[in-house]
Amino acid sequence: MTPPNLFFVRDHFNQPEISVETWNVRIEGRIAKPYELSFSDLVELPSRKIEAVLECAGNAANGSAVSNGVWEGVPLPALLHRAQPLPDARFVMLEAADSGRLFEDCSSLPYSQMVPLERCMEPSSLIAFKLNDLLLPKRHGFPARALFPGWYGMDSVKWLRRIVVMSAQDQQSGFHQSGMDRLYNRAKRTGNDVQVTRVSSVRVKSSVAWPNDGLKLPKGRYSVWGFAWSGAAAIRDVSVSVDAGRTWNLAGLQKQAGPDSWVRWEYQWNATPGEYVVMSRAADHAGNQQPLQRDPARKDGYELNWCLPIHCSVR
Amino acid sequence: MNLIGACRFIAACASLLLAGALFGQDCAHPDLNPQERLSRFHDLDARAQTAMQQKRFTDAVELYREATCLAPESPRGLYGLGVAQAASGDFLNARESLRKADHIQPTSPLPLAMEVRIDFSLNDMDALKADLREEAARFPRDAQLHALLARFLAEKKLVTLALAESLRAQQAGGADPDSKAQLAILENAVGAYEDAIRNADALEHRTELSLALRASAAGVAGLSYESIGQRDEAIHHLQEAIRLDPSRENSYLALADLFEQAQRYADAVAVLKQGRANVPASTAFLLPLGSDLIRTEQYQDGIDLLRELLRRSPDADQAYLSIADASRKMGNSAQEVQALRDLASRKPDYPMIHVLLARAMLNGSTVDYPKVLEELAQAEKLAPADPDVFYLRGKVYIATNKYKEAVAALNRSIELRPLESGPYYQLARLYQKLGKPGLAKEQFARLKYLEAAPSN
Repeated sequence: MTPPNLFFVRDHFNQPEISVETWNVRIEGRIAKPYELSFSDLVELPSRKIEAVLECAGNAANGSAVSNGVWEGVPLPALLHRAQPLPDARFVMLEAADSGRLFEDCSSLPYSQMVPLERCMEPSSLIAFKLNDLLLPKRHGFPARALFPGWYGMDSVKWLRRIVVMSAQDQQSGFHQSGMDRLYNRAKRTGNDVQVTRVSSVRVKSSVAWPNDGLKLPKGRYSVWGFAWSGAAAIRDVSVSVDAGRTWNLAGLQKQAGPDSWVRWEYQWNATPGEYVVMSRAADHAGNQQPLQRDPARKDGYELNWCLPIHCSVR
Repeated sequence: MNLIGACRFIAACASLLLAGALFGQDCAHPDLNPQERLSRFHDLDARAQTAMQQKRFTDAVELYREATCLAPESPRGLYGLGVAQAASGDFLNARESLRKADHIQPTSPLPLAMEVRIDFSLNDMDALKADLREEAARFPRDAQLHALLARFLAEKKLVTLALAESLRAQQAGGADPDSKAQLAILENAVGAYEDAIRNADALEHRTELSLALRASAAGVAGLSYESIGQRDEAIHHLQEAIRLDPSRENSYLALADLFEQAQRYADAVAVLKQGRANVPASTAFLLPLGSDLIRTEQYQDGIDLLRELLRRSPDADQAYLSIADASRKMGNSAQEVQALRDLASRKPDYPMIHVLLARAMLNGSTVDYPKVLEELAQAEKLAPADPDVFYLRGKVYIATNKYKEAVAALNRSIELRPLESGPYYQLARLYQKLGKPGLAKEQFARLKYLEAAPSN
């Protein structure tokens, strides 16, 4: 579990000042029964806990913009059911209390994201108010944020203040007007075309926590370790190579990986004098395997999940 | 609401709840007329209340059961029965009785409030939240009720729900200073620091309020300022809390803690001494003051205070460790070992206690090596992969000329913690002693490599 003070933080704008005494979240749009929830209303609703990893879509290979925690919140499907979405409802815009200008040609607007209604209706989708059994710290979205386990972090909107249910035809939302629709897109070149699709589910990935790149070690037996996670399914196995991917050995998984959490892996390495390139590679139960290299057709900076080489020298 | 409060509620219930029409027909005393039944109900009710006050809860249950048999639709009887059943530990039936009382008389918030307490006793958080929602929906303007629930939930450490109820109390118009202070305390506890500061600061400056309440508010403001990193403001408010009410030990402790975090140990000592002078009956100052005296190199004074603490609270583990620490700094190895032995005898499973003891014993002028090895064997039983066990064992074997064993122990320590330089150094020195310069050089080279590598 990542302690809240070590949990990664990514913001687009300044953190907003929010009073728990006046905060509320409004549910509106293509629904039959709009309503508001105060902090008291929210925390007194039935809640559930989920251990889930949260990763920034732009987290580098072996980057630190990823953390794992136990979240508690109110299932979003329950809130939406109560609002009774209309038959043409397709998306949910989650709007935050922080705001600013993303691009020169855009207005200063609140941070927002659009998530398909179908994803919001999955039981694991939460309006979270606790992290590791404590109320969310301010930097993590106090008093409440969205949480979509298995999806990259940008959709887990912090400092939530509005949930707007939309139809497929509703294009004039803050999400589009702010320019947010230009971010978090996968851009893949195929011939002369560039296909643009929205980033959502977290790609299978592992990172090496030890050793770090450039480490010099006396010979000995070492525990190479790190974490692995995937948005599609639980981690099935992690392999480790110390020879730049020529040979691979299975690492041990610390516990049975949960569907949404990361798992710690460990590999015992008898390091004899020489130069080494350490890599880890994860696979999940959905059949996804971490790629050895970045897809050269990708022209964006997201889903950076290839196996990063770590150089070590042993004497 | 406590049991006595519950009894008072019952006594205060209007007699209209005892209307003859509510009386059951299939009970004992079928021959009683309505007036006699009413009289009998009153008698049972009074006796049940007496039983409750005397903590004869099983008797109270029986009496209320008989009363509700006479008047099965009486919310007063059912509420009394529910409270008595809860007091006797029969929570499931208590909840059932209270639900019936609530169903019959939904205008009273008390059965639901009592259900919240029972839900907690049953560890049924879903039901507890459902009852809180029901209270919120049916009694949104009852500030007293929500403040009462907030206090109960806070007592039970359900801080988030306590805050929710405290906010409901405020929204219902419960703006009395005590409720406001409670809200500020809860906001500070959950991390809503700006809200806590605003509420506490306002109370702190209201001169018509009691000094104790203002001091409490100043303390909350101080803690919240500390949490948002404004140390100077925090110190100012905590000093004000002490000035307003010098009898509150928490203000001194919080201020000393702040000074400790800033490594201003002399200031911490001064504050804690002031606290001790103003609240002489408190033992809460002994551990931090003893530890801070040691940090300011007033070793003997620190040890004396910590011993005073241990006389009163022998389970204060940290005091043993601090005495050991001070003794080591004073060069009194025997006293260090004794302090650790005292801790080990009370807490044989205390983390690393045997390693600490072995290390302390090795620091003595005359070392009982077999005893050190005994400690290390015990340490290994508790933590078989603790590299310190093998490192210290290696040192013992070197000192007792068991070189082969020493090499094995030091190598095991390296294997368990390869980036620690101590075992390489010991191994290198040992190889030198054994006349194996090649092996010694190899260890020294590793040590140099390890220490020189910037990325390590």
